[in-house]
Amino acid sequence: MAETGHVHTLGETAEAYGLTPGDLGDWAPFSPVEVYWARKHRLTPVTARRWAAAGLRVSDAVRATALGMTPEEVRPWADAGFAPGDAVEAKETGVPLATAVAWREAGFILPDAALLILDGWTLEAAVRARYAGIAEEDWRPRLE
Amino acid sequence: MLSEERNRLLCETGPGTAMGELLRRYWHPVAGAAEFTRQTVKAVRILGEDLALYRDKSGNYGLVDQHCPHRRADMTYGFTEEVGLRCNYHGWLFDHTGRCLHQPFEETLHPEGRFKDKVRIKAYQVQEKAGLVWVYMGPRPAPVLPDWDRYHSRGYKQVAISEIPCNWLQCQENSIDPVHFEWLHDNWSRVLRGQDGPYAPTHKRLGFDEFDYGFTYRRVREDTTEDDELWTTGRVCLWPNCLYTGHFEWRVPIDDEHTLSVGWFIDELPGDMPYEQDTIPSWHAPVKDERTGRWIDSHVMNQDFIAWVGQGAIADRTLEHLGESDRGVILIRKRLLEDIEAVAAGRDPKGIIRDPEANHSVHLPIIGGLDRRPAATDGPRPFVFLAGQPEEVTREFKRAWEDCAAAAASEALASGG
Repeated sequence: MAETGHVHTLGETAEAYGLTPGDLGDWAPFSPVEVYWARKHRLTPVTARRWAAAGLRVSDAVRATALGMTPEEVRPWADAGFAPGDAVEAKETGVPLATAVAWREAGFILPDAALLILDGWTLEAAVRARYAGIAEEDWRPRLE
Repeated sequence: MLSEERNRLLCETGPGTAMGELLRRYWHPVAGAAEFTRQTVKAVRILGEDLALYRDKSGNYGLVDQHCPHRRADMTYGFTEEVGLRCNYHGWLFDHTGRCLHQPFEETLHPEGRFKDKVRIKAYQVQEKAGLVWVYMGPRPAPVLPDWDRYHSRGYKQVAISEIPCNWLQCQENSIDPVHFEWLHDNWSRVLRGQDGPYAPTHKRLGFDEFDYGFTYRRVREDTTEDDELWTTGRVCLWPNCLYTGHFEWRVPIDDEHTLSVGWFIDELPGDMPYEQDTIPSWHAPVKDERTGRWIDSHVMNQDFIAWVGQGAIADRTLEHLGESDRGVILIRKRLLEDIEAVAAGRDPKGIIRDPEANHSVHLPIIGGLDRRPAATDGPRPFVFLAGQPEEVTREFKRAWEDCAAAAASEALASGG
């Protein structure tokens, strides 16, 4: 079978990251850059797969591991409709699930809300700031 | 959404500002090397500092304060000598390290005097690489200037530089915003061409991954799957102020309300015979249509420029409503804030290379790989990124393409192919 451009790129990228075809096999289905990043941060294939099963890409899994998280901690966030990576973002910034839900209801995605909360913003103040210059009766009913 | 304070923190790049300190930890391209075949001294404003960039008669580059420390005359009107740049007002001569080498009248009157030893001009390090002139304006020791693998690809290379009247951050946020491509480039281009057909395939999924030199952004569109390289490899938001998709687009702060867009482009050439380009041409890409006074909208990067300047001189992020398409934007803001803290704590920020041994043809992810990228088969492709490519550059590329195509055909004939 002729080598496809995609397969060739994978091989070339793997070589650039010092990975052998055997490494790629051991780490399937992760991409070379993910394998490189995982190994750099001492993540094993087994651990990376456990995180992947919870919906986390390697770079989020590296952050999660550094925070001492387990894949099980992702589930409540996923069940509440958040992206799996949001669980890591929330842990990093100390945002509880209920708070994240309240901010989401007001139209703030988790990473945006987390930065604002870190900055000391209350939800009410953030909402008011965002609608500066717009009459309250034009936006308030939509949030309730 | 950001508070006004956070927005300022991320946008202000002058001396002494937190973001200015962070960006001063990196090398920045500020001119095309080819410009110094036409002139020897150029006025540049970078990170809010007015400077004179020159190449002396020995071929050494220097970057010094625009104002002579003697009586503040403009060094960009000075003249180069075998070594250094001489002020045109009273002839004081400075080298690239900022040392004063000669003060004609002072030395006539006091041949033994060493007044020149007591005078220095502010000076920064300069290097030439890949047809660009790079400057480093941070504390010593400077990191190494990255030697990206793409610089070594075979092909016709060119540099195009524009001045964009807005803050650098809104330009760089575009480097990790996959969805804009669907609307600003695909769909708007269709509208501009008067096409009535359906809109471009929509984005279905986005992903962002960190690596040593930045982040990759990945996408699945209606017309692609997770097996497509748009997802498996993705594009690169190169840290801290560049986009890499096979070509490079740096966004270098001139000051807080102006950005130097520095593009480095390469077109693959037919065949595999060795090809050496004498000079990488460098040209100024206009951003405004002089006839109409409107921004130029015909080319990909010009369309980006319109979006960026449309956000205002400094985008007011206190009024944003960020959504799912903006996760990459938030990711880089957060990382820049972390890097600001790292620098304040005396640590290196992300993406710095200090080991010269690790700086040989450093790999960056690229869709399609590097070593078998095909040239266009039906002739040299028109330049799609920026309006205003000079005719001599178009001609030179065409000639290079035709020469390589002819060589490839001869080789095929000789080998019986």
